[in-house]
Amino acid sequence: MQTPALSERSESNGPMITTEHLSKWYGQVSGLNDVTVTVPPGITGLLGPNGAGKSTFMKLVTGQLKPSKGVVRILGEPIWGNPALFHRIGFCPEQDSFYERMTGLGWVTALVTLNGLEPDAATAAAKRGLEAVDLLDAADKKIGAYSKGMRQRVKMAQALAHDPDVLILDEPLSGMDPLMRRRTIRLIREWGRSGKSVLVSSHILHEIESMTSNILLINNGRILAEGNVHQIRELIDTHPHSVFIRAQNTKALARALLVEDGVISMKFEAGAVVVETARPDAFYARLTDMAASGEAGVIDEVTSPDDNLQAVFKYLVKQ
Amino acid sequence: MSPIHDQGYRHYLGEREPHGRAWWVIARSHIVTAMQHRGFRFILLVAWAPFVVRAVQIYVASTNLPVAEFIATTPETFRDFLAQQRLFVFLVTIGQAGLIADDRRTNALQLYLSKPLTRVEYILGKLVPPLAYVLAVTLVPALLLLLLQIVFAGSLAFLRANLFLLPAITLFSIIQALLSAFAILALSSLSKSRRFVSIMYAGVIFFTAAMYQALRGITNSRTWAVISPGEMLDVIANAIFRARAVSPVPVYVAILVVFVIIALSIVILERRIRAVEVVA
Repeated sequence: MQTPALSERSESNGPMITTEHLSKWYGQVSGLNDVTVTVPPGITGLLGPNGAGKSTFMKLVTGQLKPSKGVVRILGEPIWGNPALFHRIGFCPEQDSFYERMTGLGWVTALVTLNGLEPDAATAAAKRGLEAVDLLDAADKKIGAYSKGMRQRVKMAQALAHDPDVLILDEPLSGMDPLMRRRTIRLIREWGRSGKSVLVSSHILHEIESMTSNILLINNGRILAEGNVHQIRELIDTHPHSVFIRAQNTKALARALLVEDGVISMKFEAGAVVVETARPDAFYARLTDMAASGEAGVIDEVTSPDDNLQAVFKYLVKQ
Repeated sequence: MSPIHDQGYRHYLGEREPHGRAWWVIARSHIVTAMQHRGFRFILLVAWAPFVVRAVQIYVASTNLPVAEFIATTPETFRDFLAQQRLFVFLVTIGQAGLIADDRRTNALQLYLSKPLTRVEYILGKLVPPLAYVLAVTLVPALLLLLLQIVFAGSLAFLRANLFLLPAITLFSIIQALLSAFAILALSSLSKSRRFVSIMYAGVIFFTAAMYQALRGITNSRTWAVISPGEMLDVIANAIFRARAVSPVPVYVAILVVFVIIALSIVILERRIRAVEVVA
Protein backbone atom coordinates (compact mmCIF):
# COMPACT_ATOMS: atom_id res chain seq x y z
CA MET A 1 0.00 0.00 0.00
CA GLN A 2 1.32 3.43 -0.88
CA THR A 3 1.72 6.02 1.80
CA PRO A 4 -0.62 8.84 0.83
CA ALA A 5 0.81 12.04 -0.54
CA LEU A 6 0.76 14.86 1.93
CA SER A 7 -1.90 16.76 0.04
CA GLU A 8 -4.26 13.86 0.60
CA ARG A 9 -3.65 13.72 4.33
CA SER A 10 -6.10 15.24 6.64
CA GLU A 11 -4.73 17.89 8.91
CA SER A 12 -4.76 16.74 12.48
CA ASN A 13 -6.27 19.10 15.02
CA GLY A 14 -5.22 16.92 17.92
CA PRO A 15 -2.01 17.37 19.87
CA MET A 16 1.26 16.99 18.03
CA ILE A 17 2.99 15.13 20.82
CA THR A 18 1.66 13.58 23.98
CA THR A 19 3.76 11.85 26.56
CA GLU A 20 2.51 9.97 29.58
CA HIS A 21 4.81 9.33 32.51
CA LEU A 22 7.71 9.26 30.10
CA SER A 23 11.02 8.27 31.66
CA LYS A 24 14.37 7.27 30.24
CA TRP A 25 17.22 5.87 32.27
CA TYR A 26 20.74 5.17 31.11
CA GLY A 27 21.73 2.58 33.65
CA GLN A 28 21.81 4.48 36.94
CA VAL A 29 21.50 7.87 35.24
CA SER A 30 18.10 9.40 34.68
CA GLY A 31 17.82 11.18 31.34
CA LEU A 32 14.13 12.03 31.59
CA ASN A 33 11.93 11.64 34.61
CA ASP A 34 8.17 11.04 34.57
CA VAL A 35 7.27 13.59 31.92
CA THR A 36 3.58 13.95 31.11
CA VAL A 37 3.04 16.69 28.59
CA THR A 38 0.85 17.62 25.64
CA VAL A 39 2.40 19.61 22.83
CA PRO A 40 -0.20 21.35 20.66
CA PRO A 41 0.08 21.86 16.87
CA GLY A 42 2.10 24.87 15.80
CA ILE A 43 5.52 25.85 17.02
CA THR A 44 6.63 24.86 20.48
CA GLY A 45 9.97 25.73 21.98
CA LEU A 46 11.79 23.30 24.20
CA LEU A 47 13.93 25.43 26.43
CA GLY A 48 16.52 24.13 28.79
CA PRO A 49 20.19 24.45 29.65
CA ASN A 50 22.78 21.99 28.40
CA GLY A 51 22.27 18.62 30.04
CA ALA A 52 18.61 19.30 30.82
CA GLY A 53 17.31 16.32 28.83
CA LYS A 54 16.30 18.11 25.62
CA SER A 55 18.11 15.73 23.29
CA THR A 56 16.84 12.70 25.18
CA PHE A 57 13.29 14.05 24.91
CA MET A 58 13.76 14.63 21.19
CA LYS A 59 15.19 11.19 20.58
CA LEU A 60 12.25 9.70 22.42
CA VAL A 61 9.69 11.66 20.43
CA THR A 62 11.40 10.76 17.15
CA GLY A 63 11.23 7.08 18.07
CA GLN A 64 14.98 6.59 18.21
CA LEU A 65 15.01 5.64 21.85
CA LYS A 66 12.73 3.23 23.61
CA PRO A 67 11.21 4.76 26.73
CA SER A 68 12.23 3.06 29.96
CA LYS A 69 8.71 3.84 31.14
CA GLY A 70 5.68 5.57 29.72
CA VAL A 71 4.54 6.21 26.19
CA VAL A 72 5.04 8.82 23.46
CA ARG A 73 2.36 9.52 20.87
CA ILE A 74 2.96 11.57 17.75
CA LEU A 75 -0.15 12.75 15.92
CA GLY A 76 -2.10 10.31 18.07
CA GLU A 77 -0.03 7.21 17.27
CA PRO A 78 2.61 5.56 19.44
CA ILE A 79 6.00 6.33 17.93
CA TRP A 80 8.10 3.50 19.33
CA GLY A 81 8.27 0.58 16.93
CA ASN A 82 6.16 2.44 14.38
CA PRO A 83 8.63 3.46 11.64
CA ALA A 84 5.81 4.04 9.14
CA LEU A 85 5.02 7.13 11.21
CA PHE A 86 8.56 8.41 10.62
CA HIS A 87 7.45 9.50 7.14
CA ARG A 88 5.58 12.29 8.86
CA ILE A 89 8.50 13.43 10.99
CA GLY A 90 11.58 15.41 10.06
CA PHE A 91 14.41 15.37 12.55
CA CYS A 92 17.34 17.76 12.61
CA PRO A 93 19.89 16.54 15.17
CA GLU A 94 22.14 18.81 17.15
CA GLN A 95 25.27 16.87 16.32
CA ASP A 96 26.79 16.75 12.85
CA SER A 97 25.82 13.52 11.13
CA PHE A 98 27.57 13.73 7.79
CA TYR A 99 29.60 11.79 5.34
CA GLU A 100 31.88 14.70 4.60
CA ARG A 101 33.00 13.30 1.26
CA MET A 102 29.42 13.55 -0.01
CA THR A 103 27.95 16.65 -1.57
CA GLY A 104 25.09 18.39 0.20
CA LEU A 105 22.72 17.36 -2.56
CA GLY A 106 23.94 13.75 -2.55
CA TRP A 107 23.59 13.49 1.22
CA VAL A 108 20.10 14.97 1.38
CA THR A 109 18.99 12.88 -1.61
CA ALA A 110 20.27 9.69 0.02
CA LEU A 111 18.35 10.43 3.21
CA VAL A 112 15.19 11.45 1.36
CA THR A 113 15.32 8.19 -0.58
CA LEU A 114 15.00 6.40 2.76
CA ASN A 115 11.60 8.06 3.07
CA GLY A 116 10.38 6.07 0.11
CA LEU A 117 10.82 8.55 -2.72
CA GLU A 118 12.01 7.31 -6.09
CA PRO A 119 15.51 8.54 -7.06
CA ASP A 120 14.30 11.32 -9.40
CA ALA A 121 11.64 12.49 -6.95
CA ALA A 122 14.19 12.29 -4.12
CA THR A 123 16.63 14.49 -6.02
CA ALA A 124 13.88 17.01 -6.74
CA ALA A 125 12.75 16.96 -3.09
CA ALA A 126 16.35 17.36 -1.91
CA LYS A 127 16.78 20.39 -4.16
CA ARG A 128 13.59 21.91 -2.77
CA GLY A 129 14.82 21.32 0.76
CA LEU A 130 18.20 22.89 -0.01
CA GLU A 131 16.48 25.81 -1.70
CA ALA A 132 14.33 26.36 1.37
CA VAL A 133 17.45 26.82 3.48
CA ASP A 134 19.26 28.92 0.87
CA LEU A 135 21.85 26.26 0.17
CA LEU A 136 21.06 25.36 -3.43
CA ASP A 137 24.10 27.26 -4.69
CA ALA A 138 26.39 25.07 -2.59
CA ALA A 139 24.45 21.86 -3.22
CA ASP A 140 27.23 20.31 -5.29
CA LYS A 141 30.01 21.15 -2.85
CA LYS A 142 31.30 18.48 -0.52
CA ILE A 143 29.97 18.78 3.02
CA GLY A 144 33.55 18.70 4.29
CA ALA A 145 33.97 22.19 2.79
CA TYR A 146 30.82 23.59 4.44
CA SER A 147 30.97 26.16 7.23
CA LYS A 148 29.28 25.49 10.57
CA GLY A 149 26.23 27.48 9.49
CA MET A 150 25.99 25.62 6.19
CA ARG A 151 26.16 22.32 8.02
CA GLN A 152 23.26 23.39 10.19
CA ARG A 153 21.30 24.34 7.10
CA VAL A 154 21.98 21.09 5.26
CA LYS A 155 20.75 19.23 8.35
CA MET A 156 17.61 21.35 8.23
CA ALA A 157 17.22 20.58 4.54
CA GLN A 158 17.25 16.81 5.09
CA ALA A 159 14.68 17.22 7.86
CA LEU A 160 12.17 19.07 5.72
CA ALA A 161 12.90 17.73 2.23
CA HIS A 162 10.43 14.86 2.46
CA ASP A 163 7.68 17.28 3.51
CA PRO A 164 6.94 15.98 7.00
CA ASP A 165 3.98 17.02 9.13
CA VAL A 166 6.10 17.37 12.24
CA LEU A 167 9.55 18.90 12.42
CA ILE A 168 11.75 18.17 15.40
CA LEU A 169 14.70 20.57 15.44
CA ASP A 170 17.45 20.15 18.00
CA GLU A 171 19.30 23.46 18.46
CA PRO A 172 18.85 24.40 14.78
CA LEU A 173 20.25 27.93 15.09
CA SER A 174 23.51 26.85 16.63
CA GLY A 175 26.45 28.20 14.63
CA MET A 176 24.39 30.23 12.17
CA ASP A 177 25.29 33.79 11.29
CA PRO A 178 22.75 36.52 12.20
CA LEU A 179 21.29 36.73 8.69
CA MET A 180 20.85 33.00 8.34
CA ARG A 181 19.50 32.85 11.86
CA ARG A 182 16.82 35.36 10.91
CA ARG A 183 16.09 33.45 7.68
CA THR A 184 15.79 30.18 9.57
CA ILE A 185 13.55 31.67 12.22
CA ARG A 186 11.35 33.02 9.44
CA LEU A 187 11.28 29.60 7.79
CA ILE A 188 10.28 27.93 11.04
CA ARG A 189 7.54 30.48 11.62
CA GLU A 190 6.37 29.99 8.03
CA TRP A 191 6.08 26.29 8.73
CA GLY A 192 4.06 26.99 11.82
CA ARG A 193 1.72 29.30 9.92
CA SER A 194 1.22 26.70 7.19
CA GLY A 195 -0.28 24.32 9.74
CA LYS A 196 2.81 22.25 10.36
CA SER A 197 3.97 21.40 13.81
CA VAL A 198 7.46 22.22 14.93
CA LEU A 199 9.22 21.33 18.15
CA VAL A 200 12.41 23.35 18.41
CA SER A 201 14.93 23.17 21.20
CA SER A 202 17.33 25.79 22.41
CA HIS A 203 19.09 26.89 25.55
CA ILE A 204 18.63 30.55 24.62
CA LEU A 205 15.34 32.12 25.68
CA HIS A 206 15.25 34.97 23.17
CA GLU A 207 15.85 32.52 20.29
CA ILE A 208 12.74 30.62 21.29
CA GLU A 209 10.79 33.84 21.90
CA SER A 210 11.53 34.95 18.35
CA MET A 211 9.83 31.84 16.99
CA THR A 212 6.96 31.12 19.32
CA SER A 213 5.26 32.10 22.51
CA ASN A 214 4.52 28.50 23.40
CA ILE A 215 7.33 26.89 25.34
CA LEU A 216 8.26 23.94 27.50
CA LEU A 217 10.87 24.49 30.17
CA ILE A 218 12.97 21.45 30.89
CA ASN A 219 15.70 20.90 33.42
CA ASN A 220 17.25 17.86 35.09
CA GLY A 221 15.03 15.61 33.00
CA ARG A 222 11.79 17.20 34.20
CA ILE A 223 9.37 19.60 32.57
CA LEU A 224 9.39 22.54 34.96
CA ALA A 225 6.81 24.69 33.22
CA GLU A 226 4.78 24.75 30.04
CA GLY A 227 2.65 27.35 28.35
CA ASN A 228 2.97 30.90 27.13
CA VAL A 229 6.47 32.33 27.19
CA HIS A 230 5.16 35.58 28.65
CA GLN A 231 3.66 33.78 31.62
CA ILE A 232 6.93 32.01 32.13
CA ARG A 233 8.80 35.26 31.79
CA GLU A 234 6.59 36.74 34.50
CA LEU A 235 7.35 33.72 36.60
CA ILE A 236 11.02 34.28 36.01
CA ASP A 237 10.70 38.02 36.60
CA THR A 238 9.20 37.51 40.05
CA HIS A 239 12.63 36.38 41.11
CA PRO A 240 15.59 38.70 41.71
CA HIS A 241 17.73 39.27 38.67
CA SER A 242 21.48 39.74 39.10
CA VAL A 243 23.39 42.20 36.96
CA PHE A 244 27.17 42.43 36.99
CA ILE A 245 28.44 45.93 36.10
CA ARG A 246 32.10 46.71 35.58
CA ALA A 247 32.59 50.45 35.95
CA GLN A 248 35.38 52.97 36.55
CA ASN A 249 33.60 54.62 39.49
CA THR A 250 31.66 51.89 41.23
CA LYS A 251 30.78 54.04 44.27
CA ALA A 252 29.17 56.76 42.16
CA LEU A 253 27.34 54.15 40.17
CA ALA A 254 26.10 52.43 43.31
CA ARG A 255 24.86 55.75 44.72
CA ALA A 256 22.94 56.43 41.52
CA LEU A 257 21.43 52.99 41.40
CA LEU A 258 20.42 52.82 45.04
CA VAL A 259 17.57 55.28 44.49
CA GLU A 260 16.12 53.24 41.65
CA ASP A 261 12.93 51.24 42.17
CA GLY A 262 13.30 47.52 42.29
CA VAL A 263 16.92 47.38 43.43
CA ILE A 264 17.00 44.78 46.19
CA SER A 265 20.66 44.49 47.08
CA MET A 266 24.09 45.53 45.99
CA LYS A 267 27.50 43.92 46.37
CA PHE A 268 30.92 45.31 45.52
CA GLU A 269 33.54 43.25 43.74
CA ALA A 270 36.94 44.27 42.37
CA GLY A 271 36.16 47.11 39.96
CA ALA A 272 32.55 46.06 39.69
CA VAL A 273 29.21 46.09 41.40
CA VAL A 274 26.64 43.29 41.36
CA VAL A 275 23.06 44.50 41.64
CA GLU A 276 20.03 42.38 42.42
CA THR A 277 16.84 43.79 40.96
CA ALA A 278 13.20 42.74 40.90
CA ARG A 279 12.51 44.84 37.76
CA PRO A 280 15.16 43.90 35.23
CA ASP A 281 13.56 45.58 32.20
CA ALA A 282 13.31 48.95 33.92
CA PHE A 283 16.75 48.50 35.40
CA TYR A 284 18.38 47.83 32.04
CA ALA A 285 16.62 50.85 30.52
CA ARG A 286 17.91 53.09 33.32
CA LEU A 287 21.41 51.66 33.06
CA THR A 288 21.47 52.38 29.34
CA ASP A 289 20.48 55.98 30.04
CA MET A 290 23.24 56.27 32.65
CA ALA A 291 25.83 54.90 30.28
CA ALA A 292 24.70 57.31 27.57
CA SER A 293 24.73 60.40 29.85
CA GLY A 294 27.84 59.45 31.82
CA GLU A 295 26.18 60.66 35.03
CA ALA A 296 27.68 57.79 37.05
CA GLY A 297 30.99 57.54 35.23
CA VAL A 298 32.10 55.18 32.52
CA ILE A 299 30.44 51.77 32.45
CA ASP A 300 32.78 49.23 30.87
CA GLU A 301 30.81 46.02 30.94
CA VAL A 302 27.34 44.82 31.79
CA THR A 303 26.64 41.14 32.04
CA SER A 304 23.86 39.22 33.62
CA PRO A 305 24.41 35.78 35.04
CA ASP A 306 20.65 35.47 34.70
CA ASP A 307 21.01 35.50 30.93
CA ASN A 308 22.51 32.13 31.49
CA LEU A 309 19.45 29.95 31.48
CA GLN A 310 20.91 27.74 34.15
CA ALA A 311 20.47 30.60 36.63
CA VAL A 312 16.82 31.00 35.62
CA PHE A 313 16.22 27.33 36.22
CA LYS A 314 17.88 27.49 39.57
CA TYR A 315 15.32 30.15 40.49
CA LEU A 316 12.49 27.98 39.26
CA VAL A 317 13.70 24.92 41.07
CA LYS A 318 14.11 26.87 44.28
CA GLN A 319 10.56 28.09 43.91
CA MET B 1 7.23 43.02 -15.46
CA SER B 2 9.56 40.31 -14.18
CA PRO B 3 7.88 37.35 -12.51
CA ILE B 4 7.81 37.04 -8.77
CA HIS B 5 9.44 33.81 -7.65
CA ASP B 6 8.02 32.16 -4.59
CA GLN B 7 11.02 31.31 -2.41
CA GLY B 8 8.90 29.53 0.16
CA TYR B 9 8.75 25.80 0.65
CA ARG B 10 6.84 23.71 -1.88
CA HIS B 11 5.21 20.53 -0.72
CA TYR B 12 5.92 17.11 -2.14
CA LEU B 13 2.79 15.89 -3.88
CA GLY B 14 4.07 12.58 -5.28
CA GLU B 15 3.67 9.04 -4.02
CA ARG B 16 5.92 7.32 -1.57
CA GLU B 17 7.19 3.77 -1.69
CA PRO B 18 5.61 1.52 0.88
CA HIS B 19 7.46 1.09 4.14
CA GLY B 20 9.89 -1.85 4.19
CA ARG B 21 12.14 -1.20 1.21
CA ALA B 22 14.58 1.16 2.86
CA TRP B 23 17.05 -1.72 3.35
CA TRP B 24 17.54 -1.84 -0.39
CA VAL B 25 18.31 1.88 -0.50
CA ILE B 26 21.08 1.35 2.04
CA ALA B 27 22.37 -1.80 0.33
CA ARG B 28 22.40 -0.26 -3.13
CA SER B 29 24.15 2.84 -1.84
CA HIS B 30 26.96 0.79 -0.27
CA ILE B 31 27.34 -1.51 -3.27
CA VAL B 32 27.72 1.51 -5.54
CA THR B 33 30.04 3.31 -3.11
CA ALA B 34 32.35 0.29 -2.85
CA MET B 35 32.56 0.03 -6.62
CA GLN B 36 33.63 3.67 -6.82
CA HIS B 37 36.86 2.78 -5.01
CA ARG B 38 39.61 1.91 -7.46
CA GLY B 39 41.36 -0.37 -4.97
CA PHE B 40 38.23 -2.37 -4.34
CA ARG B 41 37.56 -2.74 -8.07
CA PHE B 42 41.14 -3.96 -8.48
CA ILE B 43 40.65 -6.61 -5.77
CA LEU B 44 37.47 -7.79 -7.45
CA LEU B 45 39.28 -8.00 -10.78
CA VAL B 46 42.21 -9.94 -9.34
CA ALA B 47 39.75 -12.20 -7.50
CA TRP B 48 38.65 -13.47 -10.89
CA ALA B 49 42.18 -14.40 -11.98
CA PRO B 50 41.89 -17.93 -10.49
CA PHE B 51 38.68 -18.32 -12.47
CA VAL B 52 40.57 -17.65 -15.70
CA VAL B 53 43.24 -20.19 -14.74
CA ARG B 54 40.61 -22.80 -13.87
CA ALA B 55 38.72 -22.05 -17.06
CA VAL B 56 41.87 -22.76 -19.07
CA GLN B 57 42.38 -25.94 -17.04
CA ILE B 58 38.84 -27.11 -17.78
CA TYR B 59 39.27 -26.28 -21.44
CA VAL B 60 42.53 -28.22 -21.69
CA ALA B 61 41.00 -31.12 -19.78
CA SER B 62 38.24 -31.31 -22.35
CA THR B 63 40.70 -31.65 -25.26
CA ASN B 64 42.62 -34.66 -26.47
CA LEU B 65 45.96 -33.24 -25.40
CA PRO B 66 48.21 -35.69 -23.52
CA VAL B 67 48.18 -33.48 -20.43
CA ALA B 68 44.37 -33.64 -20.20
CA GLU B 69 44.26 -36.79 -18.12
CA PHE B 70 46.41 -35.18 -15.41
CA ILE B 71 44.15 -32.19 -15.00
CA ALA B 72 40.77 -33.85 -15.43
CA THR B 73 37.87 -31.93 -13.97
CA THR B 74 36.49 -33.52 -10.79
CA PRO B 75 34.23 -32.31 -7.97
CA GLU B 76 37.45 -31.53 -6.10
CA THR B 77 38.29 -28.98 -8.78
CA PHE B 78 35.37 -26.87 -7.59
CA ARG B 79 36.05 -27.47 -3.93
CA ASP B 80 39.68 -26.45 -4.43
CA PHE B 81 38.65 -23.42 -6.42
CA LEU B 82 36.44 -22.21 -3.57
CA ALA B 83 39.25 -22.90 -1.09
CA GLN B 84 41.59 -20.78 -3.25
CA GLN B 85 39.11 -17.95 -3.22
CA ARG B 86 39.36 -17.73 0.58
CA LEU B 87 42.02 -15.01 0.27
CA PHE B 88 39.75 -12.87 -1.90
CA VAL B 89 36.80 -13.51 0.40
CA PHE B 90 38.99 -12.09 3.16
CA LEU B 91 39.98 -9.06 1.08
CA VAL B 92 36.49 -8.11 -0.13
CA THR B 93 35.15 -8.62 3.39
CA ILE B 94 37.82 -6.32 4.82
CA GLY B 95 36.73 -3.81 2.19
CA GLN B 96 33.37 -3.60 3.97
CA ALA B 97 34.86 -2.80 7.37
CA GLY B 98 33.37 0.69 7.45
CA LEU B 99 29.77 -0.37 6.88
CA ILE B 100 28.58 0.50 10.38
CA ALA B 101 31.80 2.00 11.79
CA ASP B 102 31.51 4.94 9.38
CA ASP B 103 27.91 5.56 10.44
CA ARG B 104 28.99 5.54 14.07
CA ARG B 105 31.93 7.86 13.39
CA THR B 106 29.76 10.38 11.55
CA ASN B 107 26.72 10.03 13.87
CA ALA B 108 24.72 9.05 10.78
CA LEU B 109 23.11 6.22 12.73
CA GLN B 110 20.80 8.60 14.58
CA LEU B 111 19.60 10.05 11.29
CA TYR B 112 19.05 6.61 9.79
CA LEU B 113 17.04 5.61 12.82
CA SER B 114 14.87 8.72 12.53
CA LYS B 115 13.87 7.62 9.03
CA PRO B 116 11.15 5.08 8.25
CA LEU B 117 13.26 1.98 8.63
CA THR B 118 13.62 -0.55 11.39
CA ARG B 119 16.86 -1.72 12.91
CA VAL B 120 16.36 -5.05 11.14
CA GLU B 121 16.07 -3.24 7.81
CA TYR B 122 19.18 -1.23 8.60
CA ILE B 123 21.16 -4.38 9.39
CA LEU B 124 19.76 -6.15 6.33
CA GLY B 125 20.80 -3.21 4.18
CA LYS B 126 24.30 -3.39 5.62
CA LEU B 127 24.45 -7.17 5.30
CA VAL B 128 23.71 -7.26 1.59
CA PRO B 129 26.93 -5.61 0.29
CA PRO B 130 29.40 -8.04 1.91
CA LEU B 131 27.11 -10.93 0.99
CA ALA B 132 26.93 -9.75 -2.60
CA TYR B 133 30.65 -9.21 -2.95
CA VAL B 134 31.63 -12.50 -1.31
CA LEU B 135 29.21 -14.36 -3.56
CA ALA B 136 30.60 -12.42 -6.53
CA VAL B 137 34.03 -13.97 -5.94
CA THR B 138 32.83 -17.44 -4.93
CA LEU B 139 29.39 -18.54 -6.11
CA VAL B 140 29.33 -16.69 -9.41
CA PRO B 141 32.73 -17.82 -10.77
CA ALA B 142 32.24 -21.37 -9.44
CA LEU B 143 28.89 -21.70 -11.21
CA LEU B 144 30.40 -20.21 -14.35
CA LEU B 145 33.18 -22.81 -14.21
CA LEU B 146 30.54 -25.53 -14.03
CA LEU B 147 28.85 -24.01 -17.05
CA LEU B 148 32.16 -23.80 -18.92
CA GLN B 149 32.80 -27.47 -18.16
CA ILE B 150 29.52 -28.36 -19.84
CA VAL B 151 30.24 -26.08 -22.81
CA PHE B 152 33.82 -27.31 -23.34
CA ALA B 153 32.90 -30.98 -22.83
CA GLY B 154 29.91 -30.60 -25.11
CA SER B 155 27.80 -32.83 -22.90
CA LEU B 156 26.00 -32.92 -19.57
CA ALA B 157 27.68 -36.17 -18.57
CA PHE B 158 29.87 -34.59 -15.87
CA LEU B 159 26.96 -32.69 -14.36
CA ARG B 160 24.72 -35.78 -14.42
CA ALA B 161 27.41 -37.79 -12.67
CA ASN B 162 27.90 -35.04 -10.07
CA LEU B 163 24.45 -33.56 -9.66
CA PHE B 164 25.27 -32.59 -6.08
CA LEU B 165 27.78 -30.02 -7.31
CA LEU B 166 25.21 -27.34 -8.08
CA PRO B 167 23.67 -27.28 -4.58
CA ALA B 168 27.09 -27.92 -3.02
CA ILE B 169 28.66 -24.86 -4.63
CA THR B 170 25.62 -22.78 -3.76
CA LEU B 171 25.32 -23.98 -0.18
CA PHE B 172 29.00 -23.66 0.69
CA SER B 173 29.27 -20.22 -0.91
CA ILE B 174 26.26 -19.00 1.04
CA ILE B 175 27.56 -20.38 4.35
CA GLN B 176 30.92 -18.74 3.77
CA ALA B 177 29.29 -15.45 2.72
CA LEU B 178 26.95 -15.40 5.72
CA LEU B 179 29.79 -16.11 8.14
CA SER B 180 32.02 -13.40 6.66
CA ALA B 181 29.23 -10.83 6.34
CA PHE B 182 27.88 -11.23 9.86
CA ALA B 183 31.38 -11.25 11.36
CA ILE B 184 32.52 -8.05 9.62
CA LEU B 185 29.21 -6.35 10.39
CA ALA B 186 29.39 -7.21 14.09
CA LEU B 187 32.99 -6.03 14.31
CA SER B 188 32.10 -2.89 12.37
CA SER B 189 29.44 -2.06 14.94
CA LEU B 190 32.02 -2.21 17.73
CA SER B 191 34.21 0.64 16.54
CA LYS B 192 34.10 4.03 14.87
CA SER B 193 37.28 3.29 12.91
CA ARG B 194 37.15 1.15 9.79
CA ARG B 195 40.89 0.64 10.10
CA PHE B 196 40.50 -0.78 13.58
CA VAL B 197 37.67 -3.01 12.36
CA SER B 198 39.92 -4.32 9.58
CA ILE B 199 42.64 -5.07 12.10
CA MET B 200 40.15 -6.82 14.39
CA TYR B 201 38.82 -8.95 11.53
CA ALA B 202 42.30 -9.88 10.32
CA GLY B 203 43.22 -10.60 13.92
CA VAL B 204 40.29 -12.95 14.37
CA ILE B 205 41.10 -14.83 11.16
CA PHE B 206 44.87 -15.07 11.57
CA PHE B 207 45.06 -15.29 15.34
CA THR B 208 42.61 -18.20 15.52
CA ALA B 209 44.45 -19.99 12.71
CA ALA B 210 47.80 -19.42 14.43
CA MET B 211 46.40 -20.53 17.79
CA TYR B 212 45.10 -23.70 16.21
CA GLN B 213 48.46 -24.47 14.64
CA ALA B 214 50.25 -23.79 17.91
CA LEU B 215 47.89 -25.93 19.98
CA ARG B 216 47.99 -28.65 17.38
CA GLY B 217 51.78 -28.65 17.53
CA ILE B 218 51.80 -28.75 21.32
CA THR B 219 49.09 -31.35 21.86
CA ASN B 220 49.42 -33.20 18.56
CA SER B 221 45.64 -33.03 18.25
CA ARG B 222 43.67 -31.61 15.33
CA THR B 223 40.52 -31.23 17.39
CA TRP B 224 41.73 -27.69 18.27
CA ALA B 225 40.51 -26.81 14.80
CA VAL B 226 37.23 -25.81 16.45
CA ILE B 227 38.81 -22.49 17.46
CA SER B 228 39.53 -21.57 13.84
CA PRO B 229 36.57 -20.49 11.67
CA GLY B 230 38.67 -21.15 8.57
CA GLU B 231 39.30 -24.75 9.60
CA MET B 232 35.59 -25.19 10.33
CA LEU B 233 34.76 -23.99 6.84
CA ASP B 234 37.19 -26.61 5.49
CA VAL B 235 35.39 -29.32 7.47
CA ILE B 236 32.03 -28.16 6.10
CA ALA B 237 33.41 -27.90 2.55
CA ASN B 238 34.79 -31.44 2.70
CA ALA B 239 31.42 -32.74 3.84
CA ILE B 240 29.42 -30.79 1.26
CA PHE B 241 31.75 -31.72 -1.64
CA ARG B 242 31.97 -35.32 -0.46
CA ALA B 243 35.73 -35.05 -0.11
CA ARG B 244 37.81 -37.08 2.31
CA ALA B 245 37.59 -35.72 5.82
CA VAL B 246 40.97 -34.53 7.08
CA SER B 247 39.93 -33.12 10.43
CA PRO B 248 38.64 -35.28 13.28
CA VAL B 249 36.09 -32.56 14.05
CA PRO B 250 32.62 -33.82 13.03
CA VAL B 251 30.77 -31.71 10.50
CA TYR B 252 27.91 -31.03 12.90
CA VAL B 253 30.39 -29.45 15.32
CA ALA B 254 31.75 -27.30 12.48
CA ILE B 255 28.22 -26.21 11.59
CA LEU B 256 27.55 -25.47 15.26
CA VAL B 257 30.68 -23.28 15.46
CA VAL B 258 29.58 -21.31 12.37
CA PHE B 259 26.08 -21.00 13.82
CA VAL B 260 27.43 -19.74 17.15
CA ILE B 261 29.60 -17.11 15.42
CA ILE B 262 26.62 -15.87 13.40
CA ALA B 263 24.36 -15.89 16.48
CA LEU B 264 26.96 -13.98 18.48
CA SER B 265 27.24 -11.45 15.67
CA ILE B 266 23.47 -10.95 15.68
CA VAL B 267 23.49 -10.40 19.45
CA ILE B 268 26.28 -7.81 19.08
CA LEU B 269 24.40 -6.05 16.28
CA GLU B 270 21.19 -6.02 18.30
CA ARG B 271 22.96 -4.35 21.17
CA ARG B 272 25.03 -1.90 19.13
CA ILE B 273 22.55 -0.67 16.51
CA ARG B 274 20.75 1.87 18.62
CA ALA B 275 20.40 5.61 18.67
CA VAL B 276 23.22 7.43 20.41
CA GLU B 277 22.14 7.71 24.00
CA VAL B 278 23.17 11.12 25.18
CA VAL B 279 22.17 12.48 28.55
CA ALA B 280 21.66 16.04 27.44
